[in-house]
Amino acid sequence: MPRPEPKTITFTIDGREVQAPENAMLVDAAKLGDVEIPVFCYEPKLGNPVGACRMCLVEIEGIPKLQTGCSTPVKDGMVVNTESERVKTAQQSVVEFLLINHPLDCPVCDKGGECPLQDITFGWGPGKTRFVEEKRHFVKPLELSPEIAIDRERCILCYRCVRFSQEISEDYQLVLLERGAHSYVSTFDGHPYVAPFSGNIVELCPVGALTSREYRFRARPWDIEDAGSVCTLCPAQCNVTLTVRDERILRVLARDHSEVDDGWLCDRGRFAYPRLGGEGRVTEPLLRDGGELRPVSWERALEEAATRLKRAGAATGAIVGGGATNEEGLLLSRIMREGLDSPHIDSRVAGTLPLELHRALAEPNLQASVSDLEFAHAVLVLDCNPIEDAAILDLRLRKGVRRHGMKLVPATAADLLDERSAQELAAKLRATGPADDAGAEVVVLWGERLTAGPDGARAAQALLDLASTLNLADTKGAGLLEIPARANGRGLREAGVLPNAGPGLSALAEDGLDAIGIARALGEGELSCAYLLGADRAGEEWERALERATTVISHATFLTDALREHADVVFPAGAYAEKEGTIVHPDGRIQRLRQAAAHPGECRAEWQVLAELARRIGLDVEIQSGAMASQQLFDAVPRYAGLTLEEIGGRGVKPHEREVAVAS
Amino acid sequence: MSVKRFEGGSRVPGWYEPVDPAKDAALVPSPQEVQVPAELRGEIERHMALYPDSRSAALPALAAAQRVHGWCSPEAIDQVACVMALTPAYLDAVATFYDMLDTEPVGRHSVYVCTNISCSLRGAGELYEAMRDGAGDDPEFNVRAFECLGACDIAPMASVDGVYVGPLAPEDVPRLLEDVRAGRPVLADKQLSTRIVADPNANSRAYPSHPIEGGES
Amino acid sequence: MSDILLFKDIDEPGLATLEVYAKRGGYESLRKALEMTPEEVLAQLESSGLRGRGGAGFAMGKKVSFLPKGSIDKYLVCNADESEPGTFKDRELMQKSPHMLIEGIVIASYAAGASRSFIYIRGEYVRQADMLDAALAEATQAGYIGEDILKSGHSLSLVVHRGAGAYICGEETGLLDSLEGKRGNPRLKPPFPANQGLYQGPTLINNVETLATVPAIIAMGGEQYAKLGTDTSKGTKLVSVSGHVQRPGNYEIELGTPSREIIYGLAGGPPEGRQVKCWFPGGSSAPVLTAGDLDLPYDFDSMAKAGSMLGSGAIIVVDDSTPILDVALKVAKFYRHESCGKCTPCREGTNWTVKMLERIDNGTATPMDIEIMASVQEHIIGNCLCVLGDAMAMPIGSMIAKFRDEFETHIEQARARNDLAPAEPEPALAGGVSAHA
Repeated sequence: MPRPEPKTITFTIDGREVQAPENAMLVDAAKLGDVEIPVFCYEPKLGNPVGACRMCLVEIEGIPKLQTGCSTPVKDGMVVNTESERVKTAQQSVVEFLLINHPLDCPVCDKGGECPLQDITFGWGPGKTRFVEEKRHFVKPLELSPEIAIDRERCILCYRCVRFSQEISEDYQLVLLERGAHSYVSTFDGHPYVAPFSGNIVELCPVGALTSREYRFRARPWDIEDAGSVCTLCPAQCNVTLTVRDERILRVLARDHSEVDDGWLCDRGRFAYPRLGGEGRVTEPLLRDGGELRPVSWERALEEAATRLKRAGAATGAIVGGGATNEEGLLLSRIMREGLDSPHIDSRVAGTLPLELHRALAEPNLQASVSDLEFAHAVLVLDCNPIEDAAILDLRLRKGVRRHGMKLVPATAADLLDERSAQELAAKLRATGPADDAGAEVVVLWGERLTAGPDGARAAQALLDLASTLNLADTKGAGLLEIPARANGRGLREAGVLPNAGPGLSALAEDGLDAIGIARALGEGELSCAYLLGADRAGEEWERALERATTVISHATFLTDALREHADVVFPAGAYAEKEGTIVHPDGRIQRLRQAAAHPGECRAEWQVLAELARRIGLDVEIQSGAMASQQLFDAVPRYAGLTLEEIGGRGVKPHEREVAVAS
Repeated sequence: MSVKRFEGGSRVPGWYEPVDPAKDAALVPSPQEVQVPAELRGEIERHMALYPDSRSAALPALAAAQRVHGWCSPEAIDQVACVMALTPAYLDAVATFYDMLDTEPVGRHSVYVCTNISCSLRGAGELYEAMRDGAGDDPEFNVRAFECLGACDIAPMASVDGVYVGPLAPEDVPRLLEDVRAGRPVLADKQLSTRIVADPNANSRAYPSHPIEGGES
Repeated sequence: MSDILLFKDIDEPGLATLEVYAKRGGYESLRKALEMTPEEVLAQLESSGLRGRGGAGFAMGKKVSFLPKGSIDKYLVCNADESEPGTFKDRELMQKSPHMLIEGIVIASYAAGASRSFIYIRGEYVRQADMLDAALAEATQAGYIGEDILKSGHSLSLVVHRGAGAYICGEETGLLDSLEGKRGNPRLKPPFPANQGLYQGPTLINNVETLATVPAIIAMGGEQYAKLGTDTSKGTKLVSVSGHVQRPGNYEIELGTPSREIIYGLAGGPPEGRQVKCWFPGGSSAPVLTAGDLDLPYDFDSMAKAGSMLGSGAIIVVDDSTPILDVALKVAKFYRHESCGKCTPCREGTNWTVKMLERIDNGTATPMDIEIMASVQEHIIGNCLCVLGDAMAMPIGSMIAKFRDEFETHIEQARARNDLAPAEPEPALAGGVSAHA
């Protein structure tokens, strides 16, 4: 579907000529000339402007009435004035109106210090009020959901939260009831607002009406720091800003990245963190002693692990969990392959895919981006459930359907594996395209489980066939987008954490066992040592494997029952906000984790633990810092060649697009 | 005159309501959880079929549910939500926006006394008070001061279960209420439907000489 | 009067039935129109100079011509949400001559190329909606509504949609949202309904009276119709006269008739011994005029020139027995009640204005409050999302401007009743739960 490609125009604002994309809303265009037009209800993420708060009134030459800057598209030659007496009076009056019923309880308001109403009152308000009547008063705050509190006194009825519920998450649970000055934000008949993305309304609220119950009164804006990172709780890898106080994470906010999360964050990503950082964490090395795991020194734990690993040698099997960074994966694979001579390492959940299929699926011109989901004619949702597997993509699909008329076509592996239904599917998808020969822009959003089962290879081939039938490789805006089973599934594969591929999907001299094979071999005594890097594997097969294994070494943030029972050495592992390194988004974008919080207790960075362990088994990996670990990764994966952490920065880099850029 | 108020001076009951965290999220009710009377379902579905987008039927559907339940109770809204496949919150938002949809229990017979400007100039305040006093605490009546009902030619007037009557004097109130109680056509001689437009004497009653008072809406 | 068009047979018994309506020439205009091309019908509407009768007074033919051409789904919506205080003309037409409206709708839809139409009628008009439904059934039966109307190839469906009590739904975009099953919040314009209206499709929205005039225009020809009225206000107009007059009611007048003739001649003026204090020429949203304005011709431009508007054609007369404050309070409370709450100046400004008027009335105000109140009205006007805020601020502003002395006297008298010295009042303290808004 055609995407907006605005041309640049010149308009005048407050006497200055400014260049801006044509039809950008005035409030956005004004920023390009360093002019701020105050807004409350305007939030482009929420769809079309509604012009409700009237804060952004400006004067436009040739139009007698003041216009709302949030809804006026800028045109070439437009002359805008935001500083005239008329505009000032209008702005002051809107602030005065808004403050009529807004309590002046800023000193005890959680929003104080980061409150748009406070800022705008200061910047554009009249400075005093002429309102001498009584303000409204209500019991506050009230519970709106287990996570969110509502203070109806403070609400300025900007409509942002209800627009989110109705137009973004489309759950239609949060509404305005009643009319006029009696309007208030509520749910139906006392039901709580529980929905996968409900927390976003806290961030959208321009006043202290909606607050996070977890964060309330935990910190003031002036005693916190912001740290940018990436949430690794699911493959969506939303960009986040962590609110840090005393090196602890108190809050997680969205950090808008249009190619990743579109500025939204799911409730799991938003509200799980304080729990990840708190109670029950493994904070020191543990060693099994007399049948129980007991805290020991790092020296003891590392020595014990090294001794056991050397003893097991090639009979070691390693599983890397989805939260591991590329660097951690690469380091462990080096320990396995170079230090222990064991090829048995895997990061996938199940199944082995022939290397050529891995490579074919990773073909750069077949890769769709997240924004392609929005503009495609159709999205085939294949063997995945976005809301469960990568929640934030659910919102992007809704956006595509709602705003651009994208067609959603769900299908399963069975539909693809049957030749006739596969043909029908292709025809159906092709039919969503334009009437001319241009071909449909189709994105196939597929779950890793498609290729994980016994029919995995066949399904992968069928997927590639479909891609070629629909000519996805040569169609702009079309392609494949995989949702890996684990957060950094794609990155770990690229780093070579596969039984049949090295870094950059290079061929190996000897292929190893895959995850299922490792479990089976452990269970049958063919392997003796299990190395679990942040991996929690469940099921009967693994139960038996860990039971039979002579040695189980694990890096863990929390102790699971299985570890409590079977682990011999447990290294405390960092949660994502404590990590540094890189991970890869499902669309190939390499993103950077930056340490925002201190490691709890004795916990150390994984790269450090792994490098030390390597040294103790006689392998010098030559890594003394996180940056060195990353450099080694960039050197090892051909496509990453020349990358630097600085270049990845806060927005990430797509290596395959970078190649194009470098080449052209 | 005083207006009914809730805790804290609120005229709106909901302002004070926290949610009940024990409840589930209110999603579109499934047909398994909500029983809808067949007749109501039929009526709602008939309305839905009239529009290119079935959501347009929200107002007629809520009005139909109100006729069945007496008011737009949570149960009534759940039923409409179930048939229309909308969330109950969406419908609640709609219902609370409109004056004729009651989201609190009310009497069966609606008596809307127009107290807007034209009627007030001709004694609507007095009429409204007489009507309220006349109905007293009879739970059958829902006496309300209403905004302009579009019948200023028969001011002051009232809409009794949708039937327009006027011009009314406080003296007409007992007969009006009696007619409703007895199930007779209300004030047959004063119904708007019998009035001729061009009759110069159709509304010759003198209006009271006091200024506007009472009749809060 | 020979120029009576809409009310020609209005009291004819049974006019609401197809039988009687047809006997009086009903649906002849439709036949005539369907023999013309849509462009020709549009040309008739344009040459008639008919301006919208709902309030804004926009040229009807021009409105039709704004709709995009081509075979896309287009809608026609008849605004029958007659809620402007003092207005009851559409009610009269719908209950007495529903077929005239339906005929007008079919002709207009033909000119606009609309294939679906709706009458959005306010929920309070129970009887009128029933009459329309009955007439619609007859018209459908007779083939005036439905597929291939009178073998012209033009098809039209019509649904009578009942509102549920909200003044704001008379605002055209609020009406569209309401018709789509939502809260009746007005929309941001642009886009205008002619481009993106109902269900985002091109939509023609017209008032009942406007559409009911269409058959007469087709019957007599646009140019003939344009000979009625004044240069810029052509044709006849239904006027609802109410309040302090001896014969309140609906009257059809030729535009440009002196206002005095309507208020005194037709409606009988205030009773013996009373004088006109002020009058709203176009519903309660119109700034008030005074006795000195009674000789103005009643038409769009003269009313605008006098600082008010013809609006919906509802004249509300207030005589000298009523304090201006009572009128202001009544008007302000109405708009506070009807404000949808979407935009700030209207939601808060109507609320604040009522509070200030109440303080003037209960003796806790000072003359400074009149200044504040006047400035609040200025801050509302032109700054709102739709015209509802202006609809309060303009008449209130006009009352302050024209009756300032009376407001001041009211303040002093009320203060005297409260034994307050004519001094600054102590500002009410924010806080406490006994707020009486």
